[in-house]
Amino acid sequence: MELEHSFTVPVPKNRAWDVLLDVERVAPCMPGATLDSVDGDEIHGRIKVKVGPINMTYAGTARFIEKDAEAGIVTLEATGKETRGAGTASASVRSILEDRGEETHVTVRTTLNVTGKPAQFGRGVLNEVGGRLLGIFANNLAATLAEPDGVGSGPSQAGTAQAATAEPDATGSPESVSAGADGASTPAAGAEGGPNRAAASATAASETPVDDLKLPARAVSSLQRENITTAGQLAAKTEDELLAIDGIGPATVVDISATLADLGLELGRPTAATPTPTEAAASPAAAATPHTSTAREAAHQFEDDAINLLKVAGMPVLKRAIPVIAALTAALLLGLRRRVRRRRT
Amino acid sequence: MIPAKFDYVKPGTIDEAVRALADGGDDAKVIAGGQSLLPLLRLRLAYPDLLVDLGGLVELRGVTDTGDSLVIGARTTHYQLVHDPLVAEHCGILAQAAGTVADPAVRHRGTLGGSLAHGDPAGDLPAVTLALDATMIARGPGGERRIPAASFFVDYLTTALYPGEILTGVQVPKLGGDWGYRYEKFHRTAQAWAIVGVAALARRSNGHVTEARVGLTNMGSVPVRASAAEAAVAGAEATREALNAAAASAADGTEPPADLHGAPDYRRHLARVLTGRALAAAAGA
Repeated sequence: MELEHSFTVPVPKNRAWDVLLDVERVAPCMPGATLDSVDGDEIHGRIKVKVGPINMTYAGTARFIEKDAEAGIVTLEATGKETRGAGTASASVRSILEDRGEETHVTVRTTLNVTGKPAQFGRGVLNEVGGRLLGIFANNLAATLAEPDGVGSGPSQAGTAQAATAEPDATGSPESVSAGADGASTPAAGAEGGPNRAAASATAASETPVDDLKLPARAVSSLQRENITTAGQLAAKTEDELLAIDGIGPATVVDISATLADLGLELGRPTAATPTPTEAAASPAAAATPHTSTAREAAHQFEDDAINLLKVAGMPVLKRAIPVIAALTAALLLGLRRRVRRRRT
Repeated sequence: MIPAKFDYVKPGTIDEAVRALADGGDDAKVIAGGQSLLPLLRLRLAYPDLLVDLGGLVELRGVTDTGDSLVIGARTTHYQLVHDPLVAEHCGILAQAAGTVADPAVRHRGTLGGSLAHGDPAGDLPAVTLALDATMIARGPGGERRIPAASFFVDYLTTALYPGEILTGVQVPKLGGDWGYRYEKFHRTAQAWAIVGVAALARRSNGHVTEARVGLTNMGSVPVRASAAEAAVAGAEATREALNAAAASAADGTEPPADLHGAPDYRRHLARVLTGRALAAAAGA
């Protein structure tokens, strides 16, 4: 399936080019996408698609297979496998930048191939799902590209705002938001913001109510039953202690440690609950936190309002496809039998 | 296939059900008749952590006369809709459409509320509630909320219900005796989903149609009203020719899906033809 989207951003071509190659900024543009690791040109990540009660997660890798700065063409190839099924998805995304002086026209051409259960939804629905996903991706990308100069149009400002709102959580400081375009465009700036800020955030972080950690409601109520109401109290527990609580399982513990890590806290390290500024400042881990968590929070952010819906049609289509699949299988079997017979004669 | 592991609770009251759903967070799901959800679970397309079964809530079952309208409990099955005397008298199209849903086994277990909350644009009852100008009654942690059918269906399998809300019933205004109705459904086999369905209500007086309401099934990502055709038919003579002419605009503004059963153009054609037939039957032409 081929899809094409295009948009114009108010930045010169070379600025747009730099952003397009910055995986940490491009990946969160894909609704439902989470970045696991970046290893040179190879990117590991996951993408979560949710349509009403249906949910699918693909895990896989993406790599740049073409980078032509002269022509302004970059091609990213991605392949993924369903984490809970046998389905696969692969995509080749070719972005073409066209210099228009102060503006850049971007064309995104995508070839998408999906197999397994989701593919049985039928062609029309796949088109719609893929098209809507990539439409959102293109919109977010346009917003991200427009960011560096802070001259975004309506929708791009909305995108910037979303990315920016993720920052106060990470650094505990509203300054990082007002730092504006520059702060937002270079995630590393948060880290340079220095140990002081990280120290302040560690204190604030341990005071964060459990309610605000975006944990599953069931986990929160279980924790509250145990009188654990702040992130600091939560961090004072060890994994085993948490697992012993009714209603908290291994998956929730993983969630909790990831959430705490975003706040610069760690399970089973009660000292983090009341850090002195110098202590936290001395810890390189704490100082580095803002950087990683910014990318992560941004990814979370997009994951949240990602694709709820959307976008796939659902059971009826699937059910309707079953007779056709059965017919195809029957035809295939007949064909095989014929061949076998022919061979015998 | 066997569904993935999930927790299961069967509350005895609506408040308990709302609390269980809220405690379950994002991965909790309500189950009523299970006729749409169970296939999704078995095919492992859905992986809820918790199912909140409404099977113990007897008060959500049945039809109540509230004067100008009927309140139909969310757990009322299709079979009950088909056979309920109040429904037959005041909003017969609901019974007629419920009678076309799938097969008897499904109609005995599947519920009105489940069908609406599932939000499948190919389901029959959503378009009917839309034509009837029904109001959905939902209960959440914050109390009761009423949502007009026109803003209830948001997208494929997505409704205006919040994650912690349960659809408890549907309020349907009574149709007067001067209203006629017809649900026309085009499907390949008796138990199949509608390729296109048309729910038409027409009010007739002195050989003319004074007012009509038309809901379309499977003509987009949500059920839609054929507003252009409704406007065209108001005041028209109750004859097949006049109604067919008005039905020519039935597909205006729709974006029907393309699938194995038909291209968008085919569906638009079906919508026009079926709207003509449904209006003729509703107006007694």
